[in-house]
Amino acid sequence: MENVVIITISRETESLGDEIAGQLSQLLNYECIDREQLATLLHEAGQDDLDENIDRNKFLIWAKNVREILYKQTRKKPIIFLGRGGQTIFQNGPHTFHLLIVSSPEIRLKRIMKKYRQDEVTASHILSELDRKRERFLLEALGADWKNPLLYHLVLNTAFYSVDQSCQVIQEAIKNIGPHPVSREQQPLFPSLDFGGNQVEFVHPSEEEFSRILDFYRIKWLYEPRTFPLVWDSEGNVTEAFSPDFYLPDFDLFIELTTQKQKLVRKKNRKVKRLRELYPQIKIKVIYSRDYMHLLQKFGVEDNT
Amino acid sequence: MIESKLGECVFSRSEIEQRVKEIAAVVNRDFIGKRPLIISILRGAIFFTVDLTRLLTIPYDLDFMSLSNFKTGFKKVEIEKDIDEEVADRDVIIIEDIIDTGLTLNYLIRVMEKRFPSSVVTCTLLDCFDRRFIEVPVHYSCFDIPDIYVVGYGLDFRGDYRNLMEIYTLHDPSGRSTQILKQMGKGGSR
Repeated sequence: MENVVIITISRETESLGDEIAGQLSQLLNYECIDREQLATLLHEAGQDDLDENIDRNKFLIWAKNVREILYKQTRKKPIIFLGRGGQTIFQNGPHTFHLLIVSSPEIRLKRIMKKYRQDEVTASHILSELDRKRERFLLEALGADWKNPLLYHLVLNTAFYSVDQSCQVIQEAIKNIGPHPVSREQQPLFPSLDFGGNQVEFVHPSEEEFSRILDFYRIKWLYEPRTFPLVWDSEGNVTEAFSPDFYLPDFDLFIELTTQKQKLVRKKNRKVKRLRELYPQIKIKVIYSRDYMHLLQKFGVEDNT
Repeated sequence: MIESKLGECVFSRSEIEQRVKEIAAVVNRDFIGKRPLIISILRGAIFFTVDLTRLLTIPYDLDFMSLSNFKTGFKKVEIEKDIDEEVADRDVIIIEDIIDTGLTLNYLIRVMEKRFPSSVVTCTLLDCFDRRFIEVPVHYSCFDIPDIYVVGYGLDFRGDYRNLMEIYTLHDPSGRSTQILKQMGKGGSR
């Protein structure tokens, strides 16, 4: 691997990027430099790390310092540079290899649920927040979409490969690297946002139509991800519960569609009221039949429900 | 169900003129010493944009944007007509005819934020908060309206009524719109 002295790894939250970086550094005998180690190196060099109020100009000054420090570091030992916009800092640099590690939202969500021992709703909100923070940093720093595959030599989807297999693929890719520099022509506006909505079986056609409207506006959603117990019997068994139709992680908001008759709406209203009493931290919006009709009318959809 | 016939007057020409003048004065005050980029969202906001910008005394750049409709068969919203001006480091004012669900404006704000503006504010002719389910910031609003279908002054029904100088409801045989307007102290046919 002597032709490559810097491997930059960009990764989505919970895409196994950290695990791959750790294993790869052992296999290749490269030094792995993550955020904390970089901060130490910057501090030793008398330079400031980036603070929360990042902007493009600050990033450019910081990136220049990082480039100098890490090139010096490679004289001692080749490095794996994890995150921090490495693909931009060393863009088109000599003897560099840029790797992007991704995974599907569903799998990352499951990893978060396992790691933090949280249910789907909480985990999806955590994932959404972590993705948002990462995206914000990289967007403000890079001035481009960091998920543009043309910024990288290799994009690896760990939905299909374990950490071991990923390391093998990466080693092969580095061995066979060609001379072409990466380009950054293509800049998709938003990466895929779906949480696997296509596989959902909706109870009511109106819900499916509503999901299409959310998809149209690229708003992430989960279908009936959580059931809230509302009433318990004397032995503590749940006798009444409520599962709102949608959860929008980016807004931490539940949506309930009601296109039913007035009698059933009253029953549902009681449930929503009870939910608000028992779970005051939960944000829920009820879209009633009239609201829904307006929505369909606005979007020019015939009501077939 | 509403019909394509005009209903009652919600905001008269003089009321609209007065509010647009007031909003223009606030924008003039808030953007003093700046040169904002005003982005008018086609097609509904065009009449409001013209009247508002005529009253601005600050320097500004004006551009237009339009988005694809859900009904046109796109799976995802697309920018059909993008702005020509650069957004980076600009103070952006997005002008809408009506903000209701918040879906369109939320998307527009996300698009703008990816272009590194100094700031983004929103300005709307009508704010229908009752229909909102996505939270969006509304910085300047001429009128709050209840959950009724309105046309005129840029807002249309199947392409009609944009050119009206006033804002009307569409005829609502159920009487609901009339009742709501009465509560607002409004009403009156054309």
